[in-house]
Amino acid sequence: MSDRSQLIETGTPFQFDAERDAEFERLVKRYPTRESMILPALWLTQEQEGWISAEAIGYIADRIGTFASKVFEVATFYTMYNLHPVGEYHICVCRTLSCYLLGKQQIVDYLYQELGIKPGDVSKDGKFSLEEVECLGHCGTAPVVQVNGEFHEDMDVEKMKALLATLK
Amino acid sequence: MEVKLLSARFDVENCNKIEVALKNGAYSVLDKAFSMEPGEVTDEVKNSGLRGRGGAGFPTGLKWTFLPKQTEKPVYLAVNSDESEPGTFKDRYILVRDPHMLIEGIIISCYAIGSHDAYIYIRGEYTTQVKVLQAAIDEAYEAGYLGDKVAGNDYRVDVTVHRGAGAYICGEETALLESIEGKKGQPRSKPPFPAVEGLYGCPTIINNVQSIASVPYIVSNGADAYKAYGTEKSPGTHLFGISGLVEKPGMYELPLGLPILEVIEKVAGGVKGGKKLKGVIPGGSSTPVLLPEELETVTMDYESMAEHKTMFGSGGMVVLDEDVDVVKLVKNLIDFYHHESCGQCTPCREGLGWMLKIVKKIINGDGTLDDVNLLRELCDNIEMKTVCVLSAACTMPVRAFLDKFRHEFEAYVQ
Amino acid sequence: MAEMVKLSVNGQEVEVEAGKNLIDAVGAVGIEIPHLCYHPALGADGNCRMCLVGIEDGRPPLVPACKTPAAEGMKVQLDAEHIKKIQHDVMELELINHPTDCPICDQAGECALQDYYQKYDGQESRMTVPQVQKSKKLDFGCGVIHDQERCILCARCVRFTRQITKTGELGIVNRTDDARVTTFPGRPLNNRYALNVVDLCPVGAMTSSDFRFKQRVWFLTRDKGICHGCSKGCNIFIDHHKEKYKDDIIYRYRPFVNEQVNGYFMCDEGRMTYKKENQDRLLVAKANNAESIISSAVDSLKNSISSSNKPVFLVSPNCSLEQMYAIKKLGEAKGATVSGFSDGYILEGDGDDFLIQDDKAANRAGLELLGVDTTKEAFESAMKEADLLVNFNNDLAKSYDAAALDELIGDCKFAMVATTQDALTEKAEIAIPAASYSEYSGSVINTDNILQMFNKAVVKNEPFDDIVNIVSRIGGDVNENSAAWAGMKASVPALKDVEPEQIPEQGLALNS
Repeated sequence: MSDRSQLIETGTPFQFDAERDAEFERLVKRYPTRESMILPALWLTQEQEGWISAEAIGYIADRIGTFASKVFEVATFYTMYNLHPVGEYHICVCRTLSCYLLGKQQIVDYLYQELGIKPGDVSKDGKFSLEEVECLGHCGTAPVVQVNGEFHEDMDVEKMKALLATLK
Repeated sequence: MEVKLLSARFDVENCNKIEVALKNGAYSVLDKAFSMEPGEVTDEVKNSGLRGRGGAGFPTGLKWTFLPKQTEKPVYLAVNSDESEPGTFKDRYILVRDPHMLIEGIIISCYAIGSHDAYIYIRGEYTTQVKVLQAAIDEAYEAGYLGDKVAGNDYRVDVTVHRGAGAYICGEETALLESIEGKKGQPRSKPPFPAVEGLYGCPTIINNVQSIASVPYIVSNGADAYKAYGTEKSPGTHLFGISGLVEKPGMYELPLGLPILEVIEKVAGGVKGGKKLKGVIPGGSSTPVLLPEELETVTMDYESMAEHKTMFGSGGMVVLDEDVDVVKLVKNLIDFYHHESCGQCTPCREGLGWMLKIVKKIINGDGTLDDVNLLRELCDNIEMKTVCVLSAACTMPVRAFLDKFRHEFEAYVQ
Repeated sequence: MAEMVKLSVNGQEVEVEAGKNLIDAVGAVGIEIPHLCYHPALGADGNCRMCLVGIEDGRPPLVPACKTPAAEGMKVQLDAEHIKKIQHDVMELELINHPTDCPICDQAGECALQDYYQKYDGQESRMTVPQVQKSKKLDFGCGVIHDQERCILCARCVRFTRQITKTGELGIVNRTDDARVTTFPGRPLNNRYALNVVDLCPVGAMTSSDFRFKQRVWFLTRDKGICHGCSKGCNIFIDHHKEKYKDDIIYRYRPFVNEQVNGYFMCDEGRMTYKKENQDRLLVAKANNAESIISSAVDSLKNSISSSNKPVFLVSPNCSLEQMYAIKKLGEAKGATVSGFSDGYILEGDGDDFLIQDDKAANRAGLELLGVDTTKEAFESAMKEADLLVNFNNDLAKSYDAAALDELIGDCKFAMVATTQDALTEKAEIAIPAASYSEYSGSVINTDNILQMFNKAVVKNEPFDDIVNIVSRIGGDVNENSAAWAGMKASVPALKDVEPEQIPEQGLALNS
């Protein structure tokens, strides 16, 4: 992994919208400690904003009643939390073992050629971001690509091309 | 060769919906289970010989008996649906195709161990799966199978889904508990064992999704019916994953104990494109590779794998053909384990990063024989010196590749 | 008495306390198990893996000593080849990404990595690939500077802020070898004990902005002392050094372990009080409002006392028990009112439930034990009639503002026996410089009624007298600490059976 600790400050305070607020209050009752809400609260934030800012981490810590350092630790430990804005379409290509054996690299190379972005990048127009991720648990239908959480299995360059066409 | 105990309803359309599942027998084992004493349920599972399907293969029923007999504290059930070991992709079929089998298994297991609160820890990447699972849980609450009076019995079971967020290590049972508690997924030292001091400091049983999902069948049909499949020490069936360079990769439910080469040939259609077999990673990426000549005598069960100095693991086998560059494959493996090291223990945190840089150096053509030897030595220096087995999950397969394909590494440095 | 068990270490049988972890248990009988992350005040974490020991016939055969309780019959292997290899391997791994910038690192000389490298590793580096790069010189707040590259991620500092101060400013972010200690943006270290992380850090990752680059630690002399910053009486190391052609000065205080008083820690304010020992000292005596040699000032004070009708002696609550007794005896002999009024030393509400006390004086309990009146009423009514005030190092400016002080003193003759040069010594007609607590031996009684002795640590090029000696020179009959003790044992019931030479290092809890 690379350093994820350089948080971005938006300069504006963060808070949950009404829907997330209600969901937070519903979920917090499912756990005997409020700290258990750290992961769910980070997910709610990401659902709401697409990514997690420094302000959001501070808000979550205060809302839960824990140290900001603990929420900061969790946000940086778990790599699915986006700590900077991602593209409208966030493309995750599995890079591990079976997907590696079955040609994930061609897909990554194709995306670079087509969109000009390497893993970790966001396209200039903010439309696409690319990430190489570890095993997505779809080895039987490798290589696999996730776009905004949706799985696309048995991928190859042709299928990726077709998929991109539907996104553009 | 395929059998369908667990996957019986996988092909039933919309079986994730409770009305379909009910028509196909879901929740039909609850009456029987609640007519038994909790200890009898545990005995049945124990007698079935069911072994933990997460990878370690520890007998499930025996694990349940480790709970303290008397406790003032609540007992928790944590269901491990982290499924992150490369090559493993079985539990998600249960989550999506028959989630009610899992929920029924959770209810029965909770009853057996005296728990009222189960947490399903599901990996964050399973975005679509978590939606299906949560919908099934909501239906089960609606239908009265979860909640204060499970299926009309005076027994409460609540199930909460807790999403991970991209950390392989959370499949390790104590890291999973830490994650539910809202912390980084850093494994705990044992003792204390979770059965005594687990989630929130309370007695906790952690079982894999497939283990729990096997419980309804065992309780319904009896231990003997389950033991009729598989071998004496590795009874039952398993959802095997076959991936990599084969013609028909996929998830197949098979009894344990089948000859591995026959399965690759007959079930998975043999090596892709008629290429020559180079080796098989038999049970997920952490298990040492087997060469074609070794595979001749290997059967797909815990004992045979151990005899061949590898492991049954998660039953996710990855087939390698003659064209695979072992050195690059090893880099891919180390890259994975390094990326997933929780960063807690010195040997794993520092050592895996070092190993990764050495193998990169070798691939870049800057390596020497000393580097190959150092890589091999580090496997020994790091392994088993840490709180959990993540470091070993990396060093065991790397060591096997280094020992069995040393010539390929040497070729890079000559 | 704790239950004892017999176990063997390297085949040698030892008797140790049952239930204690192996590091502490066998450490108590002088056998060191190397460790980096374990700290007795913070408990076991188990991340460094340096304390792995073999247990012969054990299941498992390899355990972290920090997490393993000592048990009867245990056969601990510490010098077996496979354990020595682990220690060597762990050290190698600790060091591969360490910058090894010892020549410019403040920790050099008191660094666990240096010591353990010598003892357990000692080989040339095999690191031929680039090291992990992290941030350096991060200002964590409270005077703590962090170097992420030197850090070995033992998490002592993180655990300190979570378990001890419960402020939780620090965390370890990321995972893998990219993990690093940091603070959350905008929430730096903000607690009154923060500098303890510098002591806790076994390597040079946490340094104090106050101390860094000031002195190489191998030049420092470490003497034990008692912090005089408040009535807790935290035990300290006084780290001082006399450079050639210069005077002996103190570079830092560090907590000295005393389970009965301060445990392993001290507060930051107390830690910084060393500066007062070095700076703003009263160096020149005064007699008749003019600079003089000390003996003239002493004579002048002696004469003033003799000719005074109504003298008042004001004692500092920071004086040693011996000084207080000497002053009290002199007061009695000269018909002086002896007061220990020092309300200004008490900052109501400033203390906490850990170490910091409201009372910023080290020995108020000593005043009480010796029966020295500390009330404002008695002091002020004595002052109304007084023609001489002899102030023994009591910082009256803490209790009175300048105008009130002028009014209090009026045209009364004012003499100071003082360590610090300030408005009071400016105001005094007679001023006699005295040794401060790092420069004399004595005893104090803390807020929990624990009597503690301390010895002279710093020897100045031109040392000033202890107040005990000054009192003797101005006419007192107590001329040294032993004489004070003889008198106190005879007259103070609580001290009757106390043998000053036998006060334990942990201090003596007085019954009262």
